[in-house]
Amino acid sequence: MRIKKLLVLGSLILLVLTFSLAFARGALGYYPLPLPRVRMLASWYLYTTLNPQYTNFTAMSPVAVAAIVWDYRGLDTLFETAVFFLAVVGALTLMRGVTLKSVLNNANNKDNNYGLSLISKTAARLLTPLIIAVSASIALHGHLTHGGGFQGGSAAAVAPLLVLVIFSVYFLLSRGISEKPMFMLWTAGLLGIYLTTLAAVFIGLLTGLNAYVFQNQPKFDAPVGLPAQISGTLISGSLFFLNIFEYLAVAGEFTLVFILLSMPEEVVKSFISGETYE
Amino acid sequence: MVEELINEILMAAGTLMIVVGAIADLTGSIGLLRFPNFFVRLHAATVGTIWGAFVPLIGAALFAAGYVELGTHRWFVTGGAAVTALLILLLGPVGSHALARASYRSKAAIPYPLIHDALKEKFREGGKE
Repeated sequence: MRIKKLLVLGSLILLVLTFSLAFARGALGYYPLPLPRVRMLASWYLYTTLNPQYTNFTAMSPVAVAAIVWDYRGLDTLFETAVFFLAVVGALTLMRGVTLKSVLNNANNKDNNYGLSLISKTAARLLTPLIIAVSASIALHGHLTHGGGFQGGSAAAVAPLLVLVIFSVYFLLSRGISEKPMFMLWTAGLLGIYLTTLAAVFIGLLTGLNAYVFQNQPKFDAPVGLPAQISGTLISGSLFFLNIFEYLAVAGEFTLVFILLSMPEEVVKSFISGETYE
Repeated sequence: MVEELINEILMAAGTLMIVVGAIADLTGSIGLLRFPNFFVRLHAATVGTIWGAFVPLIGAALFAAGYVELGTHRWFVTGGAAVTALLILLLGPVGSHALARASYRSKAAIPYPLIHDALKEKFREGGKE
């Protein structure tokens, strides 16, 4: 035991010394700052992210991260969303046909027989609306402050997760947070993202002007763009809508996965082995 | 003149609460290391959450409210600290309660040295919690 402690201490000291030596000798690179050409790219982003005088290049969002994620490299984020979509579809395929409806009708599962104590349940009741409110503010302010749709959606999914742990999966399902509504929420979010990416194209078709898929602000050869402000409030064109729809999609997806993961093993096995059909 | 006095009092009270919080955190961490079993260690940990987090956060809120040099932004600090303090006040006891209950019921933590176990007697008599 003593030797183990000494070994841990010795290896920690060795780690610190090695890193100090490496820093001192310049082994981790002689530039404490990024290379000049990388810095130029960063200053370009900072210069154009909210610059109303520079109409053809700006993203009209004060948060460069949000602007980069949904405007400068918007297609990349769209494909990330698609990868996540496929992952959840894979999980759904594994669990296809599995429902808790038959178990739900059992009278034992309807009561508050499951879950933690009354104290925990009361705290969860107070906390769940707060979590939803905070997550919505993260998503709705995604174009103004740090945060965004994915972050807000993951925070929102904590609320059903809390209910799952503190109450039970039966409680969540009996309150209407079941697979189908979550699937609808998710689909609505993805549909919203799809329509927002095509919004500029629709405007272009109506006005007869050139427009691009995933266009946010006007460009020099495509003068259509989504409104950067609504009656003086900055919404940063497509960023606001993309954040909202990503929020809905991610919240739905995560809740769906949590519900699937919390199904009792016996129920899932009886479905997968073909003993039960719905 | 009165306003300055109020600000001074707010800042003094805030500083005092932050100092109390630091002492409570030290006490709680010593208890966490030195106490013999899980349940009393949990007690030491909750000393750290209420006296060591809730009280200094209220102190920070008072201090920011009195610190005029911060300008209007000090109300953001006050509001944020107060809300966080209230959440900790609500959730700290719930968390320790859930931990203690789960570890008692699952017998994951053995209460030793044990002088009196009232809950056990209650269960033996067939009573519910």
